[in-house]
Amino acid sequence: MSGQKSNLETLHAIEDFLYQEASFLDRPDLDAWLELYTEDGVYWMPAIVDQKDALNHISLMYDDRVMMEIRKRNFVHPRAASKDYTVRASHIISNVRIRKMNEPTGDCTVTSNFQCISYYLDKQTLFAGTYIHELVKQTVGYRIRHKRVNLINCDGVLGTIIIYL
Amino acid sequence: MNYNNPEVADLVRPTQIHRSVYTDPAIFELEMQRIWGRAWIFIGHESQVPESGSFISLKLGKYPVVMVRDQVGKVHVLFNRCGHKGTKLVDKPCGNTGGGFTCCYHGWSYRLDGKLVGVPHPAGYKDTGFDKNDPQYSMQKLAQYDSYRGFVFATMDASAPDLKTWLGGAGDVLDNLCDRSPEGEVEVAGGVLRYEHECNWKMFIENLNDTMHPMIVHKSVVDAANDYISTLPEGSPQRTEAEIIPPFGASYKNFEATGITGFRYGHHYDGGKSSIHADYSVDPEYEAAMIKAYGPERTREILTFNTHNTLYYPSLTIKSAVQNIRVVRPIAVDKCIVETWSFRLKGAPDSMLQRTIMYSRLINSNGSMVGPDDLTAYRRMQEGLQSPASDWVEMHRNYGSDVDKGDRLTNSGTSDLDMRSEYAAWREYMLSKVA
Repeated sequence: MSGQKSNLETLHAIEDFLYQEASFLDRPDLDAWLELYTEDGVYWMPAIVDQKDALNHISLMYDDRVMMEIRKRNFVHPRAASKDYTVRASHIISNVRIRKMNEPTGDCTVTSNFQCISYYLDKQTLFAGTYIHELVKQTVGYRIRHKRVNLINCDGVLGTIIIYL
Repeated sequence: MNYNNPEVADLVRPTQIHRSVYTDPAIFELEMQRIWGRAWIFIGHESQVPESGSFISLKLGKYPVVMVRDQVGKVHVLFNRCGHKGTKLVDKPCGNTGGGFTCCYHGWSYRLDGKLVGVPHPAGYKDTGFDKNDPQYSMQKLAQYDSYRGFVFATMDASAPDLKTWLGGAGDVLDNLCDRSPEGEVEVAGGVLRYEHECNWKMFIENLNDTMHPMIVHKSVVDAANDYISTLPEGSPQRTEAEIIPPFGASYKNFEATGITGFRYGHHYDGGKSSIHADYSVDPEYEAAMIKAYGPERTREILTFNTHNTLYYPSLTIKSAVQNIRVVRPIAVDKCIVETWSFRLKGAPDSMLQRTIMYSRLINSNGSMVGPDDLTAYRRMQEGLQSPASDWVEMHRNYGSDVDKGDRLTNSGTSDLDMRSEYAAWREYMLSKVA
């Protein structure tokens, strides 16, 4: 019984962490969001289903910490024409499942479904897909080593993706 | 409104363009017939149809077409339409259709070169005047299609000049792209991005060699990159991104020095001796493969021919030094799709494709920090030009000082020669048959 309870507590803590990440992107608060990533953290939005790598095939986004730092600065730059508009989002995350768990360390791989309604240029756009988070357990909570965003229409005709989803 | 030829002629002056060229759906329809129906339009690269039955499907202007390789290895460009009731025969962007095309509706079947071969339950056609061998019931071939070093173009105009003549001196840049491979050949690799643009298709191509915009439009990403790079400890490893992003903030003087070269039929390029891609580091393994293939002198010649963007008016723009291309597909007067494709230099180390992929992602992706800023400017133009406050868009920069070098005009890299070349072709296509 206690094992089951502990699993549920872990799942709950992970869900809470994913919601926290999403809420930073909802506002958006890229300073706070970036702090959730490890120093070797990566954010990847592939351009095809089951994309094997980001180096030999085009991606919509593929940022390490350096690119995240640049993007964070670009996002608030007063002369960034495409950012001269209100950007807000509402993320719903569901179907959270732990796929891999390193019992000794607590590091884990978690999949979830997401729907993100993005408000940009006076228009609401619906993005949907699956997240795959590789999480690193901290003394308190988690940090993200790798986040993969599988859009269901990643290989379709898309408009501007103005911010991380 | 409907336009007669003198009215069309009035829309483009030597240094001014009437706003309706960007905003009037009737002009868009005319452009689809007279420019996109007459010019050579980029279809795809032969490497996209490697085997018998391989196809890609797309629209040439408003019309669905398919590029397919037949059993003997020849590549055809056919209208994607069943000879029976007009159903599109393939409806995926790419695939393999086996030994021929079969319609999903009534099962009419065609050879890979489009010839109709099978009509189910043929008894009903006896004595009706229908003849399966009448070419009108086959899939129709484009009036002309041809390939230049693997790049396949097609035109709906049987009287258009041949492809090589049409490419003219601008073909040097396609050569340079292929010559950058130690084997002299490139192939499509690493997928495609399809980016919807809420603007007239011409705004995208007019931006390519508009060198007065990067230091303004792309200042934000250059600042952000330089700002962060300056926080890194001295001796931090050089990042490829740091070679790709900051040159977008190059000065007026730098861009002026690159020069613009314009050709007949609206083609042009920026650069030649130098461009914003000129200072990329060279992978020693790549350089060695090139020298082995071409010798040191020819290698130097190939690698120092540095152009920025080259436009093959109206549909294709290439970056030979980067090995990527963008293709514009018009949808409506205020909507187009821009495709970004990357190329592998055959015989070159993987690092070369990886830099190309990084470039396409950093600069051209829907999620990049460069392309979306350009698009914002186009979208604002599209809205601003609705206003009757003034009817004209201007392109005076360095007007009157173009240098005529026979098959080409040259001028300062910050001149509007690129745009004037496009509109010389626009007038020619819109007002008469181009011969």
